Order: sequence, then C-alpha cells, then structure tokens
Amino acid sequence: MAQPNDTMNKQSTQKRILLATVLSFTFFIAYDFLYLQPQQKAVNLANKANSEIVVKQNSVNNSLAPNVTSTALPMNTTPVPSDAVDANIITTIETLTNKIEIDTLGRIAQVTLKGKQYVDGNGKKIKLFTNEQLRPLEIRFRNAQVNNEAFKVNVVASSSTIDARSSKATVTLTQQLSTTTLTKVLTFYPDGHYDLDVSATNNENFFITPGFRPDVLADMYADHGALLTLNDGTLTIIEDEDMDKAVELIGVNAASAFDRYYTTLLYNFKTSMSISVMMDKNESPNMFIHAQDKIKLHGYAGPKEYITLTNLDDRLASVIEYGWFTFIAKPMFQLLQFLHSYIGNWGWTIVFTTILIKLVLFPLSHKGMVSMNKLKELSPKVKALQEKYKDDKQKASTHMMELYKKEGANPMGGCLPIILQIPVFFAIYRVLLNAIELKGAPWILWIDDLGVMDPYFVLPILMGATMYLQQRITPNTMTDPMQQKIFQFLPVIFTFFFLWFPAGLTLYWFINNLFTIGQQYFVNRIFKNAKIARHEKHLEEKTHKKKK
Amino acid sequence: MISKIILLCINFYQKYLTILSYGSCRFHPTCSSYAKVQFENNNIFKAFYFSTIRILKCNPLFDGGFDYVKVKCPRKDKQQFKKLKFTKIKIKYWKVPVENNYCLVLQHNKKWDQ
Repeated sequence: MAQPNDTMNKQSTQKRILLATVLSFTFFIAYDFLYLQPQQKAVNLANKANSEIVVKQNSVNNSLAPNVTSTALPMNTTPVPSDAVDANIITTIETLTNKIEIDTLGRIAQVTLKGKQYVDGNGKKIKLFTNEQLRPLEIRFRNAQVNNEAFKVNVVASSSTIDARSSKATVTLTQQLSTTTLTKVLTFYPDGHYDLDVSATNNENFFITPGFRPDVLADMYADHGALLTLNDGTLTIIEDEDMDKAVELIGVNAASAFDRYYTTLLYNFKTSMSISVMMDKNESPNMFIHAQDKIKLHGYAGPKEYITLTNLDDRLASVIEYGWFTFIAKPMFQLLQFLHSYIGNWGWTIVFTTILIKLVLFPLSHKGMVSMNKLKELSPKVKALQEKYKDDKQKASTHMMELYKKEGANPMGGCLPIILQIPVFFAIYRVLLNAIELKGAPWILWIDDLGVMDPYFVLPILMGATMYLQQRITPNTMTDPMQQKIFQFLPVIFTFFFLWFPAGLTLYWFINNLFTIGQQYFVNRIFKNAKIARHEKHLEEKTHKKKK
Repeated sequence: MISKIILLCINFYQKYLTILSYGSCRFHPTCSSYAKVQFENNNIFKAFYFSTIRILKCNPLFDGGFDYVKVKCPRKDKQQFKKLKFTKIKIKYWKVPVENNYCLVLQHNKKWDQ
C-alpha cells in the first residue's frame, strides 16, 4: 500500500524543488527591480533636492562654520557646504587626466575626469563629487576659535590657473588667520596625482581629510565607503551607513574614500598616519588625518585603475577591492589584465580566458566525458537495475555503484569540478562589477559595454540556447522522467536570470558552453567511430567463419 | 553549534540546490550526505577534514565508488547498559563494526522498517 503513496511523495518533493528554484530566482530579480533600483532613484532624487537646498542656504549665509567643540577633535563633522558657484573657485589645475578646482577654503571642490570613457549617461564628463559632502584637503584646527575663523577667511592662491599637462606644476595656497598662517603647497603631476605639503605657524595643530567618497556610482552591488591600508599589511574597510561610533587608527599608509569605480585618497608609505574616522549624519565615514602642525602627503582623486594606481605606488593596488571574493577576484583580474595587455580588447580577453580555464580543466572534463560515454553502452543494464529497484532509491544507487566498479567506469563528473566553477564565476562577476577598466569596454557588434547588461538580450538567449544544446548532446544517466523535466527546464531559468547580468559574465558562460559542446561532440564522435569499427570487425569475423 | 549551522546549510543544499549538480557525485553515499553523516557523528574538526578530502577526491581523476563514514565504535559501557530504557526508539544510523574498533556509519533506510 505504501507504493503509490511513495511515488506521490517523490513527485511532490521534486515539484517543491522546482518551485523553490523558480521562486528564488524570481525573488532575486524582483528584489533588484522593486527594491534596489527605486532606492537608487530615491537616493539620486534626495541628493538633487539636498544640493538645491544647500545652494539656497549659501546665498543667505555664504560660509557656514561648523560647531567645533574644544575637545581634541572636530566633533561635528557636518561638512561645510561646498559651493556649486564658480565664483568661489580660486584656482583651476589642468593635468592630462583631469581638471581640479580649488575653492576659497583651500579644498578640492571638484575633479572633472578627461578620459573619453568617463562620461555619464548624458555624455557629460564625470565630476567626482556631489554638493554637500566633505571635500578633499579641508582643514580642521584643533583650537575651536581658530577653526571657526578658518571657515570665514578666504584662502589666497599663488596663481589662478595652473597647467600641469606637460610637466609638474606647483601652487601655494595661503590662509592668513589672526594667530596662525596655514600654507598648503600643492604640486600637480601630468598623470593627475599631487604632492601635498601643509604647515601651520605658531604650533597650531590641525587635521586634514581626503574628503568624502566620490559619488558617481554607489549602489548596493559593490562596497563603498572608506578603506585604510595599515603598515602591518592589513586593510580596514568602513562601509557607508554602517558606523556606530568613531574609530581611531594608527599606522595608516593610505586612506581612500571610494565608490564603485572612483576614489579620493591620501597616502604616505614612508611615514604612517594617525587617522580619526568620524561618523556623519548618515553614519558614513569621514576621515581626518592627524597632522600636528605640518604634514607631507601624496594625493589622488580619480578612477581606481590598476595601472594608474600601481604607477603611483605598487602598494596602492590594495585600494582596489572586490568584496568577499577579493582573494580569488584579484588574481583573476591580474590574469585578465595580463592577457589584455596582449589582446587589447576586453571582450576577446574574456573569450580567451574562458578557453584558458577550459584548457586547464581539460584533463578532468575529458576523462569524465569518456567514462560517461563508456557507460552509455551499458545503459540497458542500468535501466534493468533501476526497474528492479525502482522503489528503493538507495538500493538502486548502491547496485549502480557496484556496476560502475565492475565495468571500471564512473559516469559522474564529480562534485569538485562543479564546486570549482562557483568561485571562478563569482570572481569574474566581481571583477566585472568593480573593475573600472571594464566600464565602457566594448566587444563586437552591439556590445559596447561589458560591465552592464546586454541591451538586446542576445547574449543571454544565446547562452540559454547553447546550454540547452549542451544538455541534449550530453549522455545523461537520469532515468526519472520528473527529474529529467526539471533538468530540461534549467536553461530557461538560467536564461531568465542572466538577462540582467553584466554582458561580460554572460559572454563567459556562453563561450564556456560553446566549448563544452565542442568537446562533447568530439568525444561522442570518437565513440561512435569506435563502435562502428567494432561492429565492422564483428561482421568481418562472422563472414570469415562462414567461409571456413 | 557550528556543526548545527553547517548541517542546516547541507540540508538547505540537499533540498533546494542539488538540482544544479544533480547526479554528478562519483561516490556512494553522495558528498553532501557523507558530510551530513560526518557532522552528526564525528567531532567538528575531523568532520570538516574528512568532508573536504571527500569533495576534493570527487573528480574524474579518482575512482569514486563506495565510501562510508568511518568512526571509532562506541565503547561497551556496562553502567550505561544498566541505565538503558527499553522504549521504542527512532533509528537513524547503524554502526557496523569493521576492523580495529572502527565502525562504518550507515544511514537507516525507512524501507527497512516494513
């Protein structure tokens, strides 16, 4: 009596699995659409609204000084609104990669990127900072009185336009206060980075900041906030909206405030810095470097390009981070970067990397395919076994295993190859999300940005089609019709899920499928030929016997 | 505690994710059920070690086949025997002694009850 009940149970389990898979995929997509994207829009709107308010406030009260208490540190980190108005810009620096504007408070008010790939959706050049955030090189004095005064007195620049396109150029910013004189000597280099030498007279202690992170692309797909590299080789990452108290750090070599692709950072690998990371009203980090009365630093504000950063200092490579998967994503990026230096196109680099990974795994997959084909010839025996033990899955699998052992073949690919796929997949995913190099990187035809989804859904559909094909030509050992149905349904689910994935990732999966199919086809043909040869030999022997 | 979390993960995997890797294990029992038995019968470090080795071996370069969890057999404790209450129990595992005081751990099959 238990029999019909059992088969029903089995079916409902499988239906449940199917349902759960579909549900979880739908959940991720719905989450992306209904939660992440509207939230992003809301943030954008709020930013816009805020900046309007700030501009209005500014016209009333031009420089709002922060309330600084007399404690050791500027407690109130509410940034002074930076003015969108050009009138407050005292000097403009042109380098080969960017245009830097410095305002009346001696801060970097804006950095405009020059590279042709750094344009927003409307084709405008990308500006790193939004209005009401803390700006790079803002100074806070330890003495509250001096600090208040410093926000009222304008800084004087030695020159109003500086051209650092062909060689380095220096500008001196001076702020004359009643008790002290603050001097910032900034040397800009053609590659866009700068050296910084700040000093205050009369032993007046101050703090300097690398600023709040660029606000070009900060979403929930990748980390954004503050990243500090310490001289013991460790990293401290403080994500936005994730602070519960201020943090003090010593032995800091580089302090970077970053969004997905861009950073503003101050570094010094010769003498380390002490830094207070304060919490702003959104519980996001604002970094202040303890300067005493003078400090020498290097600075950079721009894209987190591997080559640019490592040209400044090899150790700055750690400023680029890929989340949890850094340990595998970083080597993956280095491989991609290495291949790209020969190939020159990121799309082809991904194709080539896929082939390379396939080649490395070739011995594994080939052996698996061969033994799977070997077993295909045993399929009548397998079917008989399954028929015999159809009520007892465990027993069936035990007997099957015995059969495999007897025939010296095991049809399964094994768990390891599948598990190995997962980190590779995630590594490529993270690299595509985080690597600025892949932003706006074209491949062929309609693919003009591998970092975002395919606008015409061609790659995902090709991916689904090849996946289906791959399943068709792979001899499978599944005999349960329900299980087979679920299996056949997988390409559809995958296609659906990949629709919104970065095109580069879909490209990787597509090429991967293509080569699996090729390999499988090849193995299948060898076996077919071998079978025919055997058959012919058999026939020959028969006729031979007859003749005798 | 950590074992429990790992077991939960394995259960989740077995229930919902096996579809992605269905029918790929070269062993009997499969890697996931092997790991489950390990974490339920062995201490966490050993369980972790043996499960990892098992997964690493689950590729076409190794033969696969039968590979049951092996643990030290429970000691025959007379004191404990006295305390035994003879009530109906639910059988989950059979520990089958093999050699050197080691037992294979076999999962109980509900079919055997009937």
